Amino acid sequence: MQPRWRKVFLDLIENKARTLLVVFSIAVGVFSIGVIAGAYVIISHDLSISYAANNPANVEIRTLNNFDDGVLTSVRNMRGIEDAEGRRVMNIRVRAENSSTWTTLNVIAFDDFAKNRIDLLTPYQGQSAPGKKQVVLEKDVLKHLNVKVGDQLVFELADGTTKSLPIVGIVKDPTTGAGDFLAQPFAYITMSTLPALRQPELYNRIYATVTTGQDDEKHISDVTAYVKDKLNRNGTIVFRTRTSKTHEHPLASTINAILGILMALGILVVFLSSSLIANTLNALINQHLRHIGVMKLVGGRNRQILFMYLALIVSFGVLALLIAIPLGGQGAYGLAAFIAGELRFDLLGYRIVPMAFMVQIGIGILVPLIAGLVPVINGSKVTVLKAISGDLARAEGKPLHKSPRRESAWQRFETRAAVALAKRGIHIPRPFLISLRNTFRRRGRLMLTLFTLTMGGAIFIAVFNVRVTLHDYIGAIGKYFRADVTVDFDQPYRVDKVQQYAMQVPGVVDVEGWQGMSTDLLYPDGSVAETLNILAPPAHSELVQPILVSGRWIHSDDERKIAISEAVLQYYPDLKAGDFLPLKVDGRDEQWQVVGIFKFVGREGILAYAPLEYVAQRNDLANQALSFRIVTAGHDRATQDRMADTLDHFFRDNGFKLRQAQSGLASLDTASESLDTLVTFLLIMALLTAVVGSMGLAGTMGMNVLERTREIGIMRAIGAVDSIIMRTVIAEGMVIGIISFGMAIILSVPFTYLLSLIVSLAVFETPIKTVFTITGYLIWLGLILVLSAIASVLPARNAARLTIREVLAYE
Amino acid sequence: MKVSSSIIEVKNLTKVYSTEAGDFNALHDVNFQVKKGEFLGVIGKSGAGKSTLLNMITGVDHLTSGEVLVRANGHTVSVHQLDEDELALWRGQTLGVIFQSFQLLPMLTLVENVMMPMDLCGNFKPRESRERARELLALVELEDQMDKLPTQISGGQQQRVAIARALANDPPILVADEPTGSLDSVTADHIFDVFEHLVQDRGKTIIMVTHDNSLGPRFTRSLQIVDGEVVHLTEAGHRSERKRMK
Repeated sequence: MQPRWRKVFLDLIENKARTLLVVFSIAVGVFSIGVIAGAYVIISHDLSISYAANNPANVEIRTLNNFDDGVLTSVRNMRGIEDAEGRRVMNIRVRAENSSTWTTLNVIAFDDFAKNRIDLLTPYQGQSAPGKKQVVLEKDVLKHLNVKVGDQLVFELADGTTKSLPIVGIVKDPTTGAGDFLAQPFAYITMSTLPALRQPELYNRIYATVTTGQDDEKHISDVTAYVKDKLNRNGTIVFRTRTSKTHEHPLASTINAILGILMALGILVVFLSSSLIANTLNALINQHLRHIGVMKLVGGRNRQILFMYLALIVSFGVLALLIAIPLGGQGAYGLAAFIAGELRFDLLGYRIVPMAFMVQIGIGILVPLIAGLVPVINGSKVTVLKAISGDLARAEGKPLHKSPRRESAWQRFETRAAVALAKRGIHIPRPFLISLRNTFRRRGRLMLTLFTLTMGGAIFIAVFNVRVTLHDYIGAIGKYFRADVTVDFDQPYRVDKVQQYAMQVPGVVDVEGWQGMSTDLLYPDGSVAETLNILAPPAHSELVQPILVSGRWIHSDDERKIAISEAVLQYYPDLKAGDFLPLKVDGRDEQWQVVGIFKFVGREGILAYAPLEYVAQRNDLANQALSFRIVTAGHDRATQDRMADTLDHFFRDNGFKLRQAQSGLASLDTASESLDTLVTFLLIMALLTAVVGSMGLAGTMGMNVLERTREIGIMRAIGAVDSIIMRTVIAEGMVIGIISFGMAIILSVPFTYLLSLIVSLAVFETPIKTVFTITGYLIWLGLILVLSAIASVLPARNAARLTIREVLAYE
Repeated sequence: MKVSSSIIEVKNLTKVYSTEAGDFNALHDVNFQVKKGEFLGVIGKSGAGKSTLLNMITGVDHLTSGEVLVRANGHTVSVHQLDEDELALWRGQTLGVIFQSFQLLPMLTLVENVMMPMDLCGNFKPRESRERARELLALVELEDQMDKLPTQISGGQQQRVAIARALANDPPILVADEPTGSLDSVTADHIFDVFEHLVQDRGKTIIMVTHDNSLGPRFTRSLQIVDGEVVHLTEAGHRSERKRMK
């Protein structure tokens, strides 16, 4: 090897700590980008393929009344329908045999598993098709119930008795309820098992595919409207429809948006690590000035020196890639597998993503080159005189023996402050003053270190704020469900009768009977856009506290007037309060006035509210209701669950045809869980930025100590003991950490607003109110103090270990 | 003495440093010539301007006025007309520089240190350069240590490596700044022997800076510098000859 390349090689291995620092800081950035880019490619490719492979229904129709094979056959023969399957879906409470905790499952009865062609199930464990009086569970159920194949599952029947069925298998269902955050986990039985559960062998749902235009939303909705209309005319009342494309997972855009946010954070990590690289290379060039001078003196030209150091940087990059590419590939597949698990679909297998691979190589080589270019160019251009003298500050033609620099404003402040404090009897230890002064010696390096730490901190804090913001919003959404228990019946009951019964149950404070209407929202041309469910609470109800965006809430004398959720804006972007909307109600086209627009979470269609007073009149159900909202004395989850249970038994025991009694917060928990998954990813990214930040600090402290080796020797020669030197260095690290904390507090504010806006747009498709929490600030303060201490202890120990002779001999 | 026979010609050389306290004349109107094959001593106290003079000849520092001409390898070069890169290449091929503090690259072995100038100037093929470096180390009697690192040998040995490195590209001129300053008298004497051998047997021209007056007799000629001015030019063995150089 030629001597100059051998020098590059030896520079690489000579200072292992420095090489590791640079290599790891490049690797962290490359790794995060690799993970996210790889996961993005795998997910966006496999999600649509895997989703389509399970032949998802384009149309899902839920009916109020049950129907038989005759109706199903007529649907199969309808225009535009390729295939249709009928199923019975019901909520049934179940428990493990050895447990007393009930969980509500969506039990789906199939006519014939062998002929299942739509919304296919993927085998996971045991059988994927249950026989008569057997049950198969969706994998998600295992998160809620501690059961396995071979166990008995206890079903609670309408009359209060129980029925045990053996679990014969676990499956994955990637398509049913794919777009629903709030869906309960699924279990599967055959229609022939229904009598055992005291259920009629009749369908209440249709899952259908369309003949053509399977990815054409408009076409699917047209076909749906046609089928719905036909069914309604023939007496099968449809109360909800859902449409979805074949080749697009309903949550694809959300997942892409979330990966986008993670990618933005990944890019930030790269950015931060590049400032760390710039810092380290600056120090390296400083340490190598003498070498550069010698090489120039014996014939080295700028370009030769430049190429040597560029080669060194590329070597750092290559080493980083050796670590980051395999780990990034694993990480990408891990992240993709995690998301796939959450969405219940299978990946098409482990693979290298060429795009992610190229991006990683690009970043691993280019970022350090760009970050190191300025210090390296400056270093290679340095004149021999400056290089040999090792003093970059001395420009040519300037005096060799400069007069001492004048006291800086900071130093004057320091002196005055120290004197003022001393007069009051407060003595700042001299070593601490040295630490303070040392902190500000290398301004450029300090700035880059502060920048990295501050960004890391601000993002860390922002992530905590966003977490609280999301939960706060979910809490606000909870105010639409302020009832502690919702009791749904299979037939309407008189409101005063239900009230009378319910008030007998200890702990029940109030009962409200609600009604509802299923209507269609129409396009201006009269075609159906989407099902619009109108909930009808009493206008004065305290159990709904809407977040109004504009207009007002419903009044008791409103007629043909609704308050509607923001989701309507996707069809009518310019809709304002006071405008009229075309609706199809009971088969007739009507114009309803929008009195207010409110925010709401959830993707299950559009929701609107109208006063019970008017809707009862339209439904011809005066003083009756199917659904009752019950307020209990306690409002926590445990009380609600207990009350739901009690009311469930109470109404069944008294002969009411109860469909379900559900606690108010139950559905929100599922939403909170999905949000926590997202927040966990954000936190991981925030921690990565924190890691890069602390590596930056460790690097800075290491370089500071190295460059001050001689000074440390002098301090020791005049009597500084190890502990004083350690303290001086650690205090300096702490000062940097605390300054960065102060800056992070300020920067976290815009970051929080920005991040919560992006996340809320991705998840809720609407901006939400940003909330701040002290938690993130406190955790970061603790973390930064610990990180600063750790980052400076190592260099401090090294400094303290050096003997005076070694230090003063240090070149 | 004919002008054209000199290998180095320093004309009206002045170097002024501007300081906050006013201008500082490091060198003032210095004129002299060095003949091929001379061993010239530049003698002066600390701060007299001898290192500055050396930096002017090697082109390491810029001059304020005047000119330095070097006639070597068939070219006459006005040193301060070259840009940084031209200067580096020219210096690598024409001058060998030796410092008091040796300035070896600590991570490279002795033979690699000697090969470095050949690598940077490209005068020799990689395979030749190793052989040549070995020969040069043999010249300074360090052939058997060639794979050691600089820290593993003594100061005198390091300075001999520095001499070998200075000879790497076979430059006609060697410039040495206090090369014996860090060495004991026996080792210093040995280094001097090497220089004398290079002048007498290999025809090198050497300029050596020292603060040690007693070394005067060992040079072909010596320049005495006081406060930036050449006050003495002494031929070897004729120290009484006193001539103020302007």
